[in-house]
Amino acid sequence: MVACCAIGGSVHGQERRGTAQNPAVADYLYEPDGYLVEPDAITRAAIYADRHFGKGDLTNGFYVDMGNQMVPGAGWIAVGPGYRRWYSKDQLFVDASAAISWHNYRAVQARVELPKLMRSRLLLGGQAKLQDFTQIAFYGEGRGATLSNESDYRLKSTDVVGYATLRPVEWIAVDGGVGLLAPSILAPSGTFRHQRPSAEQLFARNAVFTHAEPTFMYTEIAVSADRRDYPGHPTSGGLLRGAITGYADRDTGLFSFRRYEAEAQHFVPFDGARMVLALHGWVAASQTEPGQIVPFYLEPGIGGQNSLRSFPDFRFHDRNLALLNVEARIKVFTHMDGAVFVDAGNVAERFGDLNLDKRSYGVGVRFHTRRETFARVDAARGVEGWRLTFRLTEPLNPSRYSRRTADAPFVP
Amino acid sequence: MKRVSLAAAALLASSAIVTACGGAKRPMQASPAVPGATLWERPTDLASRDTYFGPWGREYAPNPVDTYDLVERKHTGVNLGMTVVDSKGREWSVKQAYPGGMDDESPVEVAVSRLLSAVGYHQPPVYYLPSFTLKDDWGTHVEPGGRFRLKIEQLKDDGIWRWDENPFIGSKPYQGLLVMLMMFNDTDLKNSNNSLYERRVGGKVEKLYVVRDVGAALGDLNPISPRKGNPEAFEKTPFILGVNGRHVDLNADRWYTKLVRDRITVDDVQWAAALLAQLNDRQWRDAFRAGGFEPNAANRFIRTLREKITEGQNLGRRAAIR
Repeated sequence: MVACCAIGGSVHGQERRGTAQNPAVADYLYEPDGYLVEPDAITRAAIYADRHFGKGDLTNGFYVDMGNQMVPGAGWIAVGPGYRRWYSKDQLFVDASAAISWHNYRAVQARVELPKLMRSRLLLGGQAKLQDFTQIAFYGEGRGATLSNESDYRLKSTDVVGYATLRPVEWIAVDGGVGLLAPSILAPSGTFRHQRPSAEQLFARNAVFTHAEPTFMYTEIAVSADRRDYPGHPTSGGLLRGAITGYADRDTGLFSFRRYEAEAQHFVPFDGARMVLALHGWVAASQTEPGQIVPFYLEPGIGGQNSLRSFPDFRFHDRNLALLNVEARIKVFTHMDGAVFVDAGNVAERFGDLNLDKRSYGVGVRFHTRRETFARVDAARGVEGWRLTFRLTEPLNPSRYSRRTADAPFVP
Repeated sequence: MKRVSLAAAALLASSAIVTACGGAKRPMQASPAVPGATLWERPTDLASRDTYFGPWGREYAPNPVDTYDLVERKHTGVNLGMTVVDSKGREWSVKQAYPGGMDDESPVEVAVSRLLSAVGYHQPPVYYLPSFTLKDDWGTHVEPGGRFRLKIEQLKDDGIWRWDENPFIGSKPYQGLLVMLMMFNDTDLKNSNNSLYERRVGGKVEKLYVVRDVGAALGDLNPISPRKGNPEAFEKTPFILGVNGRHVDLNADRWYTKLVRDRITVDDVQWAAALLAQLNDRQWRDAFRAGGFEPNAANRFIRTLREKITEGQNLGRRAAIR
């Protein structure tokens, strides 16, 4: 005989606290209050975000691609149609989407995955992507690249990748992938052009412009241990990640190189997660054989929305990078955090020359649900002045964590 | 500046399109009668109906101490959830809250379902569990609960039915159902939430017209982001805006005003109010207890609903005085 179907728990999140019998369930339903009483509009925005964006890839059918495949600089809006579907009790997932942006950046992708092999320990997948990014900023290579050398280039590429993820336990992932990337670097185009010269005019002697465009075969292996509570809006736990990526120039070998990355994040909650200290460190190093060159669009780079926030996107490129972000978040309202942050980092030709001399200081607000940051505004100041950023994503959960195709162009 | 102007123009254009689409009024006339089709059955035993276990009783309820096997995640609608199978091999559709538990639809769905079934409307077997044990590929763990809806052989899902095309349009049960859903501030009257079930009783086939997924209710009618299962918002939202000739102006979600504007009469409201007024204290409490509501929240909902029922019952008097 069934004992009892409903045990406690009102529909008010706050009245639910402590009523669920299991601590894990109580924690799931718990959202710490902010220090001030939340305006109704923010609560409703959070409810809207949960209901309309909260399911992510889980919903079958047509969807609006809000530019998930785009890169910074695509413009204030990117949109297009998408379709995805889960088959055979989640054994097979297919997804296809296309998007076009304000600056006429275009991306089309199709993906197939088998996510539940070996009782969910193994995922196999494949993705094909065509992209045409019409006016990507380039300031030259090296930490001394000046703002006055701001230029644009167009990157068109075709990318096909096969990948696998092995999960010995739920929070450890070993990712591997092999792909083919065929990039073309062209004169900038697109709509609402920036008034910037072509990168080819300004950097005519750069090897990318003096040699034929290569076709790459790339391989990547990455290991990550992810103990963040909610990656889209972490309040506790951390992430450790290491990756090795190899790009082999199949034509002349000139642009072949290898990249090594190590990264750590940690989120320390205080006062019942009403204050969170976020720490993030990342280093990337490129290795080439004598005479080989890392093409600038695949070189590690920093600057912009997820790295040095007072600098423009793609501001500094070189063979190596180091980055440190420290961010303190205070729950002003239940679904809005105030943040103060310091970003420090640099690029260098030699790994031993890396330092944290380029810095940004700033403040921001983050609007979030329990598990996703759905809007943020950051105002950051550095030696090049103030910069205001508005994004729809968490700053310390960059898209490269979930990316499967090649990072062309490299986005921090 | 140019960007802002273009954005504003795009926004205005899209809202004009939305308004035009939303405002389009399809003529609503009852379609020809379908043999065996019912929307409502007169509740001859209303006072004794069990609003805790509902019309399907405890026999069809999920066992809170069972271990449920994951079949697949939920891929439709806006709520999280999954399909699971219990140790008896019964398949359940589970609807769950998002982390943080904001405006969880599951408790509302079960409570509203109990009220509708108590007054004679067909409802599927739905129950609420605050948590349950789930076995998936990673092992066995406790999972946040939610609304459990049983898939049973007696009820064969035969697609959806449309609010503006069905055999009951204009009938008292149809009009009364709309009144009740407006009274509950239901903000999700999509046709896809209406299920047509085929039930075989002996050699006879019945077609049951069911309003399902009634969890987007008991809050307010905010057009962009309505609250659900929120006593304060529910208390603040009026039910009847006025009487316009023989029609009652009900406060409705703007997407569904066409269903009730100039269509609901004083008599319809009184019919629905009179039915709900027959529920006794225990039945009200049990309906909300079935949804897992704490007594304080349940009492606030019950008090507000009873005020709305009284308002509906008094409507004839108000109209007569005018």
